[in-house]
Amino acid sequence: MDDLDLLRGLGRDLEHEPPGSLARQRARLLEAAHGRTRAPCGPVRRPRGPVRWPRRPGRWTLFGAVAAVTAALILVPAVLLGGGGVKPPVIPSSNPFAARTGPLNVLVVGSDRRAATASDGAEEARSDTLLLVHLPADRKSAHAVSFPRDLLVQIPSCQGRDGKPVPSRRGQINAAYSLGGHSCARKTIEALTGVRVDTTVVVEFAGFRTMVDALGGVPITLPTPVDDQATGLRLPAGRHLVQGTQALAYVRLRHGIGDGSDLSRVERQQRFMASMLRRAKETRLRNPARFARFLSAAAGSVATYPRLDVAALKALADSMGGTDPGAVRFGTVPVVPAPDDPARVVWDREKAMDLFTQLREGG
Amino acid sequence: MVSGMIAPPPGAPRAGEPSARVADADLIERSLVDPEAFAVLFDRYAAMLYRYVSRRLGPEGAEDIVGETFLAAFSGRERYDLARRDARPWLFGIVTKLVARHHRSEAARYRALRRSPVDGPEEGPADRVAAGVTVTAARPLLAEALAGLPRRDRDVLLLVAWGDLRYEEVATALGIPVGTVRSRLNRARRKVRAVLGDTDPMREEA
Repeated sequence: MDDLDLLRGLGRDLEHEPPGSLARQRARLLEAAHGRTRAPCGPVRRPRGPVRWPRRPGRWTLFGAVAAVTAALILVPAVLLGGGGVKPPVIPSSNPFAARTGPLNVLVVGSDRRAATASDGAEEARSDTLLLVHLPADRKSAHAVSFPRDLLVQIPSCQGRDGKPVPSRRGQINAAYSLGGHSCARKTIEALTGVRVDTTVVVEFAGFRTMVDALGGVPITLPTPVDDQATGLRLPAGRHLVQGTQALAYVRLRHGIGDGSDLSRVERQQRFMASMLRRAKETRLRNPARFARFLSAAAGSVATYPRLDVAALKALADSMGGTDPGAVRFGTVPVVPAPDDPARVVWDREKAMDLFTQLREGG
Repeated sequence: MVSGMIAPPPGAPRAGEPSARVADADLIERSLVDPEAFAVLFDRYAAMLYRYVSRRLGPEGAEDIVGETFLAAFSGRERYDLARRDARPWLFGIVTKLVARHHRSEAARYRALRRSPVDGPEEGPADRVAAGVTVTAARPLLAEALAGLPRRDRDVLLLVAWGDLRYEEVATALGIPVGTVRSRLNRARRKVRAVLGDTDPMREEA
């Protein structure tokens, strides 16, 4: 009998069987799972609005981060530069968007390969993020709802990428974009939610890095030092101005930051977004030349459908000048496991309709 | 009359179907969109973790620590590396951090064990009795050894001896290289053996 065996014997002697009251801890967990518990600690607190949004975001991929940054505030004005250089808008627009002051719904497709701007020609593009962003009429806030990519939905009949019609079918929501591009994604979301999509924005993955660089970096605060082999990120604790590559590593980081009770990756991404939005806003005011570079970088990473003209987007950007980056709320479509396939999810119809009714009718 | 269609309660252990069991990582992934799926992990591991904590800290605070472990795991689940199919090392890692907050009372518990009878179950299964003699004799010494170990070494030793984790799993749990696990374990075991009376100088310096 060696020392380990003796220790094991001691352990068995010291051991207690779990009491029935352990079930209370299970109930505690389920409460947290239902989002009824306290919000996670940390200085970033999203304000509670009149709309009750899901407290805990479900699934935010990196594309979620990119797309939300994009959609929520920055890229909407950014798109005003189209694919070209920086040109001040001079011609008053006849586009209805220009005069539009009501609520606006933007569908953001985070794609790992951007569809070609002019022809929508990329064949292998997949949508890794689908995000519906609602800008209320007063533009004081923005609400983003993400759709899990494995959400099972009825995809309406669409025109395929090859121009041939694709019949209606049941499938994962991200298949819509693969099948029929942005128009099919939009049609699917509209059919599902009843929310009319005013604009679809397709965001390219790689643009994120470029945008951060163009801003001259984005400030982050690390509670503990990070040395992550997977992403190659090495930084001491404290405040840093991270450039594009580091920023990308930071939002992708899975290990080596804090302990199990610290900010989750999702919260970290959302913090980063908020920081990036703040930075963009400051830059816009203090360094117009840099902001123009940023817009140009961003514009190279996105495409809008229908194509919004410069004046329309400039007007939109101006209308969002008062939006507080902290007032961007994030949520996920409420889902339940699919009855016929527990590995996938279907939406929780009642809760989801509640959410989308607010998007349809909310100011 | 057929009445056999009643499903067992969700999460109840069902004998005879281990192969149908969903991997922990898949449950965690599912919990990203269906948070309640996480409760299955609780059903799988809460009792095991409770027993582990009760060994180290006694039964009083164990329930809370298990509860906090699952809350922390739940809120950190987006970070979980889904390539790790078995969630035990991850959960033990969280438990270890939470136990560390009580390291003073843990050491006091071991010190108390040097003099007092075991506060565990009064009687065990018969197959324990034979080994029990030696263990009982060694208990004060073992407790003294545990009380004197640095916390990090003790964590490794007890994850191996009481948590039944393999070296690689301990490394995952604590976020340290396997080589460090080995060296901490060797150091801890040397000290335990020294207290037990094994003072072989070769081993001492090995």
